[in-house]
Amino acid sequence: MQAENDGLPPVKLSLPLRYQQDLFHELRQEDELVILARGLGLLRVVTNLLHSYDAAGENLVLVIGADDRELEWIGEALAEHAAISNSPMARGFRLINTDLVNVGQREKMYTEGGIYGITSRILVVDLLSSLLDPSTVTGIIVLHAERVIATSLEAFILRIYRQHNKNGFLKAFSDSPEPFTTGFAPLASMMRNLFLRKPSLWPRFHVTVAEALEGRKKAEVIEFEVPMTDAMRDIQNAVLECVEVSISELKKSNTGLEMDDWNVDSALHKNFDAIIRRQLDPVWHRVSWKSKQIVNDLGVLRTILHCLLTYDAVAFNRYLDTILAASSPPPGSTRQNQSPWLFLDAAHTLFDTAKRRVYTAKVNAAEVANNANSTSLDSLSPVLEEQPKWALLAEILEEIERDAYFNPPPRDDSNGTILIMCGDEGTCRQLREYLQTMHVRPEDVEKQESDDDEERGPSAAFMMRRALRNYLNWKRDFAKVSASLFAENQKALEGATDRQGGTPSLRPKAPPNKRRRVRGGSSAASGPGRAANGSIQLAQDTEAHVAGLLAEIQPTGAEKLQKEEIAADPLIDIDDWFEMYEMNDLLIVHPYDGDMDEHVLEEVKPRYVIMYEPDSAFIRRIEVYRSSHTDRNVRVYFMYYGGSVEEQRYLSAVRREKDSFTKLIKERAGMSVTLTLDAHGIDDPQEHFLRTVNTRIAGGGRLAATAQPPRVVVDTREFRSSLPSLLHGRSIVVVPCQLTVGDYILSPNICVERKSIRDLISSFNNGRLYNQAETMLQHYKNPMLLIEFDQNKSFTLEPFADLLHNPSAISNPSDLQSKLVLLTLAFPRLKVIWSSSPYQTAEIFENQEEPDPIKAVQIGLDLESGQDPSDQTFNQTPQDMLRAIPGITEKNLNRLILDVANVHELANMEEEDISRLIGKEAGRQVWRFFNRSLFD
Amino acid sequence: PQVIPGARSGPSSILVSPRQKGNPILNNVRSLPWEYSDIPADYVLGGTTCALFLSLKYHRLHPEYVYSRIRQLGHKYNLRILLTMVDITNHEESLKELSKTSLVNDLTLILCWSAAEAGRYLELFKSCEHTAPTSIRAAQATSYADKVVEFVTVPRSINKTDALGLVSSFGSVRAGVNARPEELSLMAGWGEAKVQRWTSAVRENFRVKR
Repeated sequence: MQAENDGLPPVKLSLPLRYQQDLFHELRQEDELVILARGLGLLRVVTNLLHSYDAAGENLVLVIGADDRELEWIGEALAEHAAISNSPMARGFRLINTDLVNVGQREKMYTEGGIYGITSRILVVDLLSSLLDPSTVTGIIVLHAERVIATSLEAFILRIYRQHNKNGFLKAFSDSPEPFTTGFAPLASMMRNLFLRKPSLWPRFHVTVAEALEGRKKAEVIEFEVPMTDAMRDIQNAVLECVEVSISELKKSNTGLEMDDWNVDSALHKNFDAIIRRQLDPVWHRVSWKSKQIVNDLGVLRTILHCLLTYDAVAFNRYLDTILAASSPPPGSTRQNQSPWLFLDAAHTLFDTAKRRVYTAKVNAAEVANNANSTSLDSLSPVLEEQPKWALLAEILEEIERDAYFNPPPRDDSNGTILIMCGDEGTCRQLREYLQTMHVRPEDVEKQESDDDEERGPSAAFMMRRALRNYLNWKRDFAKVSASLFAENQKALEGATDRQGGTPSLRPKAPPNKRRRVRGGSSAASGPGRAANGSIQLAQDTEAHVAGLLAEIQPTGAEKLQKEEIAADPLIDIDDWFEMYEMNDLLIVHPYDGDMDEHVLEEVKPRYVIMYEPDSAFIRRIEVYRSSHTDRNVRVYFMYYGGSVEEQRYLSAVRREKDSFTKLIKERAGMSVTLTLDAHGIDDPQEHFLRTVNTRIAGGGRLAATAQPPRVVVDTREFRSSLPSLLHGRSIVVVPCQLTVGDYILSPNICVERKSIRDLISSFNNGRLYNQAETMLQHYKNPMLLIEFDQNKSFTLEPFADLLHNPSAISNPSDLQSKLVLLTLAFPRLKVIWSSSPYQTAEIFENQEEPDPIKAVQIGLDLESGQDPSDQTFNQTPQDMLRAIPGITEKNLNRLILDVANVHELANMEEEDISRLIGKEAGRQVWRFFNRSLFD
Repeated sequence: PQVIPGARSGPSSILVSPRQKGNPILNNVRSLPWEYSDIPADYVLGGTTCALFLSLKYHRLHPEYVYSRIRQLGHKYNLRILLTMVDITNHEESLKELSKTSLVNDLTLILCWSAAEAGRYLELFKSCEHTAPTSIRAAQATSYADKVVEFVTVPRSINKTDALGLVSSFGSVRAGVNARPEELSLMAGWGEAKVQRWTSAVRENFRVKR
């Protein structure tokens, strides 16, 4: 590490701001955990740091915890740096991930040295199998430090690293302070997991940061509060009411939990359902089926809120249609298994209003739904409400244009580009379409409409009409799809509305609706009606009306001139359309993309930025950008819906980040643990680990001091769970191998299949466990099933209280207990171990005879296939998808996996080809599954 | 009480050792008949199945009890259940010990947390005596719609609504599998993350050669 001579780094840095330089020098000098406020350029600091090591050469630096795009960026940035500072030693950034690099190549790369981004699972296996000697590592950089918990792989890696290498550097980064503030002494325990002693906090209100960003000219910001339309407000209120009811329902059925936070206010947070899940997790398997559904519903409701503001009226209505179809009860069920919120009046308002934003009946709305054969009704007519932000956007653009014309801006380094930032790719597409078509006028729109705006201002009429046409077409198809998917259900649905009174409802008599009746009259009846069981159902508009509506919005002459809707971002075919654009009159629509936005700003150099949706991190990025370049002027337009969820969410996000930093600063002030954490704690990581990580097994006494530490062979796939890390923590030698049979081999005779409760349930359901037990029994004398409960979840199985009241369930049991009974009856030799947590499992696994790893690997392998076992890994997700296909059994599954590459290939195979592999009957089933057309 | 002829015939009832007299779990065996009998185990639940009952509370006071019972049992019966009631909070040590004991003495450990659950286990072992394990062998046959939903929702974060959206937009599962990412992202509710997960799931190889 010659680069250690600091003060005069031999490399060129690209850190223009004071606080960034301070941070860099701090990092060069000591190991620490950096928590930087979002948007302040974390990755930039990281890449500069990495470059300083890269340029020095002779280093082996590992980057862990980064996600794919960050790795990509680091790679690009390092290449750029190397080119700029022209350092001969720099070798750039290389990736080590699953499929690309094999064992031999990895070994070579490790000895070569360099800067590597590496997947944690591979790194841990390489460290354990001594492919990589930890003492040769110059240093490790951990990104997303907030994800490193005591049992995570990253913590495991750092423990092994620190055990064998006390001199290498170790630096951790995070740009989200929130996770560091939950729990008891969270910062201290995080520091312990990271084997670090010094936290370094950089909130936005840090003096240096504030000075750097506010000292010089600030960016010009113009804020707009856009009012929502009445319909939007109604929908939002309706959804909020649904959320409120759902929450109170949850509270009612789950007493004894800490529920102070469970209110509508916090429900708007991004991760509210995650919070509830975490609180319910300790009792999740005992939570009633209904509560689980409500937790699910909360997620759906939150999505609806989001869609309301981002989607156009037609897309929103379409999304609601899909939700409704997905949550409608299976045909003929008497069970009230629909989501509770669907029974509310508010839900009714929601669906009704959403529909009326799109189209409405012209004359007598009440009669449209009530009496389809009535002659008095006219037809449906389009409403097509526009999002209020669109008009504002058009106005802003116009203003910019005027402004640029009348007061030509001072010449500076920025381009005349206008950058529009919005939430996601979907919104981008919507805005692009709007901007392209806002001046197109359908000539023969409704009379009164064209009378209103003589000025012919921008309007989304063209776009919305096109969307409505697509929607109606889609809806026709959708009806067919649901007809073939839920044939019977659909019949009942039509019976309930169209032919009311004609044919008796196919639905079994539902319990009388206890709720008060929907207010009679036009508004209630025009939209969705109620099904017999009291839940909401969409009234089917009759064919004739839809046809009429379609005719009305047929493309007019002017519309036909426009090119077809752009399905994809044309930038994707950039090679075909390659052309340099003039940067000065460009309008760019871009989604928020985390740290990538910095690149966008740097490259585009916009003079005007329109933030279509609020985003606190992006505001900071603009501040950073503005302060980094004195010679560029930026004007920012910032818009949000007043009184909306969007506004509240933005404000609370800002507040939460600030609070988190305040908490962290307080904790750092009073933190004694980290300062006294001396080398001894690291010297003896087993002890250290036991004492700090879990006090439940504290008094366990010293481990038996044998010359040879006990050894356990662990399947490499098992490294996703926390158990290998804990076994290692108990000074057991973990030998990672690719196992075909079992997850853990404790001795030549003992083989363990580990199942968490969730796995247990699913593998009972798809029959995997039965097969696993079968093969284990073939090869091992003492096969064991380890049922592992989660550390923070309660140590009991699901209750079966509901079954006791239902005599039929006794004769046809389907609960977990009965499946367990069947399993033990089928395999009397299979032993069951019950473990209340991974920590206990680690204890149970001690003191066994030594297994032979090589033998363990070979067991159960299909040696005829002639493949080297070490060369194979399996991907779980596509295999699970295969298992869901009818006709696939555990036996022919293996055949398919050998001969077919992936799901995509299988889906496109001919029936005969599939049949040749897995037999006629199964082949036919598989083919039919993929090819059955739902439109017929 | 009415006497039903044939109901008390030997093999169809659970045999209970007299030493279990007064055990509250017997009150929870309701759906099947049981009778006292002189047997080495606590319960006989079928031709080759027996069970010993142990309460952890009792085990802590008399740790030797269970071993003497296991000794008495010898090597009789094919499936030997050690039905253990977890009625103490510090169960880790005892369970660790019992796990090892069960391995050495060929017992199958089954935990229960209440008398009702214990009773239910007894009933289940008896009533499932001759049941074929079909319900745990393979996935249960379900309707096409359920299968489709199950198939599509395998990748993380894709839910039922999304599954329905997929097949309704593309018309068949095959078309959904073949869909390009741009087409997918046009659907409501399909954000970038979901689109990415789905396309990588269908194009990811089953078996990776490294």
